[in-house]
This record gives sequence, structure tokens and C-alpha cells, in this order.
Amino acid sequence: MRKNYGPIYVAPIAFWLIAFLSVPLLITLSYSFMEKGLYGGVELKFSLAAYKSLLNTAVLKVLLNTIVIAVASTAIMVALALPTAYYIARSPVKNLLLMLIIIPFWTNFLIRIYAWIAILGSNGLLNSFLISTGLLDEHIQFLYNRYAIILVIIYTTIPFAIFPLYSTIEKFDFSLIEAAMDLGASKFRALWLVMIPNIRSGITTAILFTFIPTFGNFAVPQLVGGTDSWMLGNLIVRELNITRNWPLASSISVVLTSVTMIGVLFFMRSQSKKEL
Amino acid sequence: MKKLSLLLLSAAALCLSVQGCSDSKKEEQAPSKDKSAEQKLFVYNWTYYIPDQVVRDFEKAYNVKVVYDMYASNEEMFTKLKAGGGGYDLVFPSGDYVSIMIKENMLEPIDKNKMPNFVNIDPAVLNKINFDTGNKYSVPYMMGAAGVAVNTKEVPAGFDKSWSIFNRDDLKGRMTMLDDMREVLGAALKSLGYSVNTKNVEELKKAKDLVKQWKSKIVKFDAESFAKGFAAGDFLVVQGYAENVFLELDEEAKKNVSFFIPKEGSAMYMDSMVLLKNAKNKELAYTFMNYIHKPEVYAQVADFLMLPSINVPARDIRKVKPNYEIADLERSEFKEDLGDMLKDYNQIWQEIIVGE
Repeated sequence: MRKNYGPIYVAPIAFWLIAFLSVPLLITLSYSFMEKGLYGGVELKFSLAAYKSLLNTAVLKVLLNTIVIAVASTAIMVALALPTAYYIARSPVKNLLLMLIIIPFWTNFLIRIYAWIAILGSNGLLNSFLISTGLLDEHIQFLYNRYAIILVIIYTTIPFAIFPLYSTIEKFDFSLIEAAMDLGASKFRALWLVMIPNIRSGITTAILFTFIPTFGNFAVPQLVGGTDSWMLGNLIVRELNITRNWPLASSISVVLTSVTMIGVLFFMRSQSKKEL
Repeated sequence: MKKLSLLLLSAAALCLSVQGCSDSKKEEQAPSKDKSAEQKLFVYNWTYYIPDQVVRDFEKAYNVKVVYDMYASNEEMFTKLKAGGGGYDLVFPSGDYVSIMIKENMLEPIDKNKMPNFVNIDPAVLNKINFDTGNKYSVPYMMGAAGVAVNTKEVPAGFDKSWSIFNRDDLKGRMTMLDDMREVLGAALKSLGYSVNTKNVEELKKAKDLVKQWKSKIVKFDAESFAKGFAAGDFLVVQGYAENVFLELDEEAKKNVSFFIPKEGSAMYMDSMVLLKNAKNKELAYTFMNYIHKPEVYAQVADFLMLPSINVPARDIRKVKPNYEIADLERSEFKEDLGDMLKDYNQIWQEIIVGE
């Protein structure tokens, strides 16, 4: 009789998912239905207070702001990553180019954000350059607004869009493009109508890999955001560390996780339908 | 194979980027129970709050060992103690947390007979303390307040040393205030002539309107990186603690900075030494508290922190001029625990920073 090794193979990943995904999610979910402890923590009593305090315009405003930033960043990232990935896949030095994309990641995430602050600040490199060349008389405040957040998010997250696109484009059979062009399609038309549908799975992955971290981001708005750039992640940090309302923090995080999950499921379903 | 290496690369990238987000401030180590003959004192204190030299001198003078753990916020300390962590003897909470810890029955009353140097502490300062009237449970350690730092190279002299500087149109977009409810609302309440611990909702609402005016002029509420921006010249006026601001500046840059406590007053803090009820080395803890308030030792601590000295004899022997004097804090008030009012403060603050 052959031994069934299946359960042994899945054991590590199952343990990982249960211990570091399911259990934390369940804890978060149950905390969101409890009462707030006086000085932080939770009381073991059922309460809907956290969800009630979610229903105010301030939280909805932050949710909307988060969606706008996440959608805009994701769209720009995928739009920029497509030609980049295409270029890398067609290049004779693709390994070198891939390395060049990875190298900035060797520097700590926060240091790279501070580097952007040094570039965009009122006395930063960009302003100094523009003023010294006479293009500007007065400095421009590039930082501390929504655009700065989007820019820095794109910079820090775009490799997650480039890699999945690269790996699907690399597998794409380019003789199909030649065939389309032989049949009279322009190059752009051939790429758009023949290549794009064939790399759809890569695009889906790229969108998911960039949208999810962006939606939950809090470090970037904290550092380069201004007085009107709150994202859901910042609200959670505030409720956890400062007001110490753990149920409220948990309920916001439940909303964040649900919005992401529903979005992802919906998106994946519509994609798989198209493939049929 | 190529796929695998790609996967590894992106996994490495992911690890690095995730690691960047998690800032672990804790450098603590749970003290272990030690049975050696040498006595040990377990101290739980703010980061960089006692010069190492003072601790080492104490160890040498009494032939003991001090186990020194650090926290970055009162909340962090309180949560850890409540969870039963530690085994600490001495802790350094701020005033509001002293009263919370008294209410929660966590503190041992202080026997001042065991602390002859208590008399060195300025009685005028002790009189202002409402979080533990008469200091039954706490021995004051350091006091201070948030103030305003101005870049005098860019901002012409003659500015009013007042919170109203945050209302100046010509500095719009070049100023920051702390991302701290008590400090910012405290500044507004003081500007309007109210108490920083007000329990009157009407007064709080007026303070909110004032903060909203300031908000339209500042770049952001920030308690983490404002000092870097100030040092780089991005921000010309910042609200903050002197020690945070000056930490980022070199000697040359310090000449172009004016730091003041606004004339209306500010929300003050007092960090005190408290003895935990379940402390194991109470006698040694008294020795330590008494040692800290020896004038020559306290002068060393106050010089290191560049804060005003609450120890009267230490004032004459300190070598470094503090960033501000006790006299500058004349109109300031200690922050107290807000109790049930906390939720109104939180609500008002959320309306200010996020919107209504």
C-alpha cells in the first residue's frame, strides 16, 4: 500500500496560515465586538459600540480618501509597470535589469521615504535646483499632500507590479505579434489585442499585489502626508496607540480587511469569467 | 529555475519592505530572578532618561546591580505592568499615570523619612502638583513642557513669544504642531485663559475653533519627524519638546534657533519616581531615589537632559544652562488624568484632525 504523504506536505503551510492568519483575524474580529477597557485592552462583554462609532462622516471621509489614493496609485503603477516589464522581457540583459529593480529594496523602506523628503522638501534638492536655475523664484511645497503620498507609494511598491507582469510577458509567444502584424495590425494594435489578453493573469496579480499593501499603508501618509491626508491605517494606529480604543481599532481593521477581500474576490471572479 | 529566483527576489524584497514598517522601540528584557548575593534593583524608565554614568556610579557606591529597562510611552509601561510583566521596583510615570496607578492600587506609599534628600525639591513645584497632592506616592524626577522652536535665520526677530505665532499668515505652510491631543488642545486652552485639564465642554469647543485656525496655517500635526524637517529648514516654526528639537541640530545650527515657552503657558509634564506595591527591593529603591536627589547627582542628570532643575541646591552647581527655566513655566499647568472627560477630548481631537 502506498503511504499518503499529503497531510505531511501541507502541515507547515497549514500551521503558518492558521497561526499567523486565521487566529489573528479571529482575534481582531472578536475584539471588535467587545467593550473598550478603561486604559486600553478590552473587556469581555459583547458590544456594538465600536461599529456604531464607525458610522460617522469623519471615518467615511478617511475611507474615501484611502480608496482614492489606493486606486490612483494602483492604476499608475500598472500603467508604468506594463511597458517596463515588456522592455525587460525583450531585453538581452534582463537579469541585470531585474537586479537593478531589486537593489533599491536593499535599503530600508523608511530610509527611502526620508530620501524622498530630502529631495522634495522646501530646501530639498528639487527646489534648490529649480531656484538656482531661475525657473522658480520661491520654493514650492511638494510634500505633505496627497500627491506626495501617491508618488512615494508608487516608488516603494512598483516592483510588485513589475515582477508578475515580467514573468507572464516573458512566457508570451511573441511570434503571435508577428502574425498579427503580418495580417495588417499596427504594432500597438497587435500588442493591445493579442498580448494584453494573454497576460491577463499577470495584470491581475500586479493589481492585487499593489492595491492590497497600498490600501493598508500608514507609514507613507504619516511621513509625507499633510493635515488632510488621513488613511485608514493611520486611524488604526491612532486608536491602538493613542486613544487606546482597541475595539474601534479592530472594527476599522475588520472593515479594511473586508473591503480588500470583497474587492479581491469580486475582481478575481470577473477576471476568471472573462477567461472562459 | 528562473521563476524560482524571481520568487526568491520578490520574497526578499517583501521581507525588507515589511521589516521597514515595524519599528521596534522596545529594548527591554524581562528581568530574571537572580539568587546571587549581590542586590539588584529593577528600574523601568523612559528611553535616555538617566545618564549611564549616574547608574554606574550608584552601582559602584553601593555595590549593587541596576537592571535598567526602557519604555517609549506611558501606555506601553502601563500595559506591561498590568499584564504582570516586569518584576520592577521603580518606575517613572508622568503625572496623569501616577494618579491612574494610585487609583488602580499599584503603588506603595512613600515614606519620606527614608528619603532625607526629599527636602531638596522646590516646594513651589510641589505645590503645583494635583495628580498626587502631598506626594504620598511619588517622588518628582523631572519636569518640562512643550514649547515653540523658531528658526531665527528665516523668521525676523521681534516675534511675539506666544501661541499666536501659529496664526501668522506669512509663515503659512512652514510650521508644524505636535500630533498630541493634550499638547495642542492645552496650548489652545491656555491661549483662551482656560485650564489644560478643563472639564467644561464649551471651553473645549472654543479651543477646537482656535486649533482649527492654526490647522489652516500649519503643514501637519507631527510628533515623529518634525525635528528633522526643522533641522533641514523645511519648517521654520515647530511646537515640540526642546530635547527633541536640539537633538537634531549641530552647534552651529543651534545659534539660529530660539526656543521659548509661550507666555500664555503650556501643558506641563512631571515624571516621578514611584515604588511598585509588589517591589522586592524597596530599601534599595529608597536608596536610589535618595541618591538621585543628592544635589551633585541631580545636577548631572539635569545637565544631561538640559531641563530645569527642581532640586534647589542642584541649581547652583549645575554646569549647563537649561533650555528654559522654572520661571518660564510660571503659567503652565501639569497635565492630569482626564478620567471620563477623556472621551470628549478624543472626540474633539478627532474632529480637528480628521474632520467632522
